[in-house]
Amino acid sequence: MLINFKMRQQTELPLKEDKANFFLQISTGVSVFLFSMVLAAYFMTSSVIASWNRAIIDGMTVQIMPSTQAISADEEKVRIGKVIHFFENLDGVEKVALVKEKQIKRLMAPWLGANADIEALPLPKLLNVHLKNGKTFPFEKVSEDLKQDFPYASMDNHGLWLKKLVKSATSVKTLALFVLLLVLSASILSIMYAITTSLKVHQNIIEILHIIGATDNYIAKQYARRASIVGLASSLVGTLTGIIALRIISHLSSGLETGLIGSASLSATHWMVLVSVPIFAALLAMCTSFWCVKHNLKEMY
Amino acid sequence: MEPYKNILTQPIVDMHNVSIRYGKDPEILSDINLTLDKGSFHFLTGKSGAGKTSLLSMMYLALKPSSGTVTVFGSNIGYTSREDMAMMRRKIGVVFQDFHLLEHLSAYDNVAAPLRVRGMSENEINKRVKELLSWVELDKSLDKICSTLSGGEKQRIAIARAVINRPEILLADEPTGNVDDDIAFKLMKLFVELNKLGTTVVIATHSTDLIARYNYPQIHLENKKLKIIPALRRIKNADQF
Ligand SMILES: Nc1ncnc2c1ncn2[C@@H]1O[C@H](COP(=O)(O)OP(=O)(O)OP(=O)(O)O)[C@@H](O)[C@H]1O
Ligand SMILES: [Mg+2]
Repeated sequence: MLINFKMRQQTELPLKEDKANFFLQISTGVSVFLFSMVLAAYFMTSSVIASWNRAIIDGMTVQIMPSTQAISADEEKVRIGKVIHFFENLDGVEKVALVKEKQIKRLMAPWLGANADIEALPLPKLLNVHLKNGKTFPFEKVSEDLKQDFPYASMDNHGLWLKKLVKSATSVKTLALFVLLLVLSASILSIMYAITTSLKVHQNIIEILHIIGATDNYIAKQYARRASIVGLASSLVGTLTGIIALRIISHLSSGLETGLIGSASLSATHWMVLVSVPIFAALLAMCTSFWCVKHNLKEMY
Repeated sequence: MEPYKNILTQPIVDMHNVSIRYGKDPEILSDINLTLDKGSFHFLTGKSGAGKTSLLSMMYLALKPSSGTVTVFGSNIGYTSREDMAMMRRKIGVVFQDFHLLEHLSAYDNVAAPLRVRGMSENEINKRVKELLSWVELDKSLDKICSTLSGGEKQRIAIARAVINRPEILLADEPTGNVDDDIAFKLMKLFVELNKLGTTVVIATHSTDLIARYNYPQIHLENKKLKIIPALRRIKNADQF
């Protein structure tokens, strides 16, 4: 008699047996896998760009060669002051500081020995130029101008090629974003295709449901429920595969000379976003199919 | 008392200058007028292809007229929202000639479907469906999948599904078209009982035998037109069937 009290959560549409399900599972899984990978690439590129930008913002070093003739300390001061002034007057410069001799001494110690008499040596003077945050700094032009006005001063140009790297990395980022959108719209389209096909296959059932008084929402909910289940399951597989692939890639590349690319790692936040991709995929599948069913049913009487 | 009279006599179905055509085909029904009062009982007759099914489809809101106005439960279906249409369909029970059952589901689930779409609790559904299915002597076949059942069993499921919601309108399209005479008259008895409880009934049939046994008016379709043939004869022993 127990069967009498069996709660049946029966859905009238046999969506579980839909032929399109297999297609949807595969395409969702592959899409989510691609999406996770590209998203990870996007995050990594972002953090690399951020670290390069930080290096640029940290500023640059300007080297002032000692005079070839013997000059007085005052003349030397004027010579250095002019270069400091040159940088201070530039747009985008936050602060210019002369590196103290003590510090130079420390920097030089490994080469000259701790007791070297720096005063007596014709060592170059160093300026730390700090740049303002968020301003674009015309490295190339400044470098040219400096060479012309003060041939005895030179600017290290790592900021310049970092800028170039940032530029190309940014286009990689844009490309990644474009691929993400592409994968996203392809998934939405394939869900819509599967739904439209399924609605045609089940037209008889839907007509019957309408005649017994089912609202469009009632029918759309059965589709949405199915889509979220299929979406969650296959995107879990997709993301998991993606994460495994990422681990393998990072393991393989760990032996490589990383240097600058050392910062191409994923932060905790990035991991969290990656792990929550299946939830977003399920939500997307659910909303897309709900909307798609409603839209298609409107054409029926 | 006048307002009450108005409410009571407001037609449940009203068709005004209605024509039906499918696509670019010639009209099947042309400029017809029909009023069904609450609690009325009609046979719907006419040759094959006269348009009986088409006329019924308009009443169960599955077909829109190509011209004219159809009013059901007082609302013009040309201006009724999809949501309201669904609510109206819940008050209409339909028996199709070819059953139109959800073949992949059990007898139980077919009869339960109209209650589920209304969001009724499974406990209440369980009670009602069991009761009705045992009344149509199908309590042994509750869990059998429809596609495995016989024609007569399907017929009873179709009728159970049509009446489970205690409809205000019952539309049956040749419900006795392919069953034995004794089943046919048993079913008729059910329709008569429902009508006594206030349900408006329209039954499309070819059976002159059936029409002859009951004293109900006929909606007759012929040459794209509709005419009402009033009930004239009183058969005293009609109830014996
Ligand atoms: N969906 C449709 N598309 C095109 N023509 C249709 C459609 N449904 C019905 N017809 C045509 O409309 C006419 C009336 O059909 P209908 O089914 O209403 O007749 P009927 O009186 O119910 O016939 P029967 O007694 O054989 O059931 C027929 O000529 C039929 O071919
Ligand atoms: Mg017919």
